[in-house]
Amino acid sequence: MESIMKMVDVNHHRIKTNGIWMHVVEKKGQGQFVLLLHGFPETWFSWRHQITHLANHGYHVVAPDLRGHGESDSPPSPSSYTMLHIVGDLIGLLDHFNQQKVFVVGHDWGAAAAWHLSLFRPDRVKGMVAIAAPFFPRDSNIKPSQFFKSFGDDFYIPQFQEAGRAERSFEKYDHLTVIKKFLSINKTDLIVPPPGMEFIDFLETPSTLPVWITEEELQVYAEKFRDSGFTGGLNYYRAMDLSWELEAPWQGSKITVPSKLIVGDKDIGFEIFTKGYILSDVQKELVPDMEVVILDGHHFIHQEKPQEVSDQILSFLNNLTI
Amino acid sequence: METIQHSTIKVNGINLHYAHITPTTTSRPILFIHGFPELWYTWRHQMLHLSSLGYRTIAPDLRGYGDTDAPVSPSEYTVFHIVGDLIGLIDELGLDKVFVVGHDWGAIIAWWLCLLRPDRVTALVNMSVVFSPRNPVRKPIESMREMFGSDYYICRFQPPGEVEAEFARVDTALIIKKFLTTRKPGLLCVPKEVGFGGNPDTQITLPSWLTENDVNYYADKFRRTGFTGGLNYYRALDLNWELTAPWTGAQIKVPVKFIVGDLDLTYNTPGVKDYIHKGGFNKYVPFLQELVIMEGVAHFINQEKPQEVSDHIYDFIKRF
Repeated sequence: MESIMKMVDVNHHRIKTNGIWMHVVEKKGQGQFVLLLHGFPETWFSWRHQITHLANHGYHVVAPDLRGHGESDSPPSPSSYTMLHIVGDLIGLLDHFNQQKVFVVGHDWGAAAAWHLSLFRPDRVKGMVAIAAPFFPRDSNIKPSQFFKSFGDDFYIPQFQEAGRAERSFEKYDHLTVIKKFLSINKTDLIVPPPGMEFIDFLETPSTLPVWITEEELQVYAEKFRDSGFTGGLNYYRAMDLSWELEAPWQGSKITVPSKLIVGDKDIGFEIFTKGYILSDVQKELVPDMEVVILDGHHFIHQEKPQEVSDQILSFLNNLTI
Repeated sequence: METIQHSTIKVNGINLHYAHITPTTTSRPILFIHGFPELWYTWRHQMLHLSSLGYRTIAPDLRGYGDTDAPVSPSEYTVFHIVGDLIGLIDELGLDKVFVVGHDWGAIIAWWLCLLRPDRVTALVNMSVVFSPRNPVRKPIESMREMFGSDYYICRFQPPGEVEAEFARVDTALIIKKFLTTRKPGLLCVPKEVGFGGNPDTQITLPSWLTENDVNYYADKFRRTGFTGGLNYYRALDLNWELTAPWTGAQIKVPVKFIVGDLDLTYNTPGVKDYIHKGGFNKYVPFLQELVIMEGVAHFINQEKPQEVSDHIYDFIKRF
């Protein structure tokens, strides 16, 4: 594990932000600052390819372990994981590095964090790239947990709501297997287990790994989750309704920062759900300055197609730098 | 007063009552935000005057007050809830941008409306309470306790039910009179032995700007609703601090006029005068275009000096 980690040439820091200790890695180029935000169930390590590539092109790259993950603090209560908390952490991080206005790249929950950083503090964001997760309009009448139940009571998001439930179901497997199941997801329809079956049981454990990741790399994640547990990461899902309640001031608000959305055409639910939405008028009105790029790949596309995704990020950053 | 209309709409999960005067469908709107312990009614003079000048005036009872719903828990009284209510209101009314006028807690809400949704505010006239930058490490209640003591009114307002019980020992009309007529230019500290109600037999002579009818309007409403809704704003201060981390260091980016009376207890809180006059306020409100200190005027400025305040508002907003 140590050898894999050392292969990613970065500096490790522990910073105090918004009342928590946050572990961040940094690779310093002379140029502009880019913040990379991972998703679930991952850590900064998710960005190992992009960190090197972006730094080689001169960017100053910082990738934190988000609250609840890796070596950053994990406050116990779900109510400490609203987008207000996460963005608060990131503002503290930017202030720590003395950065007024930055580029942000996010994947999965990290993309949600990037969208909300852009929504709450557009004055601090030059431009953002979201991978796999678009920005959805807030429904003033329907809470997120209710909305996701419409995909099925056993859709993963409703299953993740109950404190402790997902954690108990994961315990049947070693941490490596849990990570392996998630990162190998290649189902393209919305994953809804049959009634009474836990999400993690429904995910296949592949007999061979996807070509784009090694056992050693998966062990890096597994080791971190062995130390932190999964509750921190799961708490983001459990805070969705509270976040929604607190986001009432932004009902109908547009994202005004220049944006790029990168999605894999084999990502979960792409054909039946995401594709229609991201090309729709609703999306165009909500995020008017957004370029949409659809690549051949699955959910963890920045690890599956690292060169392509890095190039897409770079072209976006370079265009805004002119 | 007959020209003032009343409506109730459902926004952000609550029923919101608001008073309004709409001269024409194209009249430019002004949103008035009251404080504690008041109601839409505090703005009656400004509404009549500014509507006579062609503005559409809108004054809600905020969440927790009057004829608007009052959820039970303090955690439903964060600035995010209140600003959410107001955004819901102006959305329902089909308004893109509004002028905003705030006083007391309404001024705090107005500052946050400007921070969270500057795109919805043309200009702000705020009264009495300055914008206080968030301290990234110190929570507000513990700061106040340390600086001003446990008898400081905001500290006393924290435990649920306590101050309600003190208020209940005297007639609600007396509570209203005590609050609205106070002119002591210093920290409001009320030991438990004294109690916020004080002596139930206290006689208060009303100033010329406050009639028995006015007092009874407030008292009737508060007798029905109680004071918990309004007090919950204070009880949410630490939660607000936790949730407003993303705006640490942020500036108010709309044009502002600020008015305060020199007898106002907020103006006389230690540190505030220096903050206002020595550059701190300007640093966080860079578009502070006008600052008015009204001599000999206390906290409830828009009721004490209604014409002057109406004129100040018009004088400012007519430029936009």
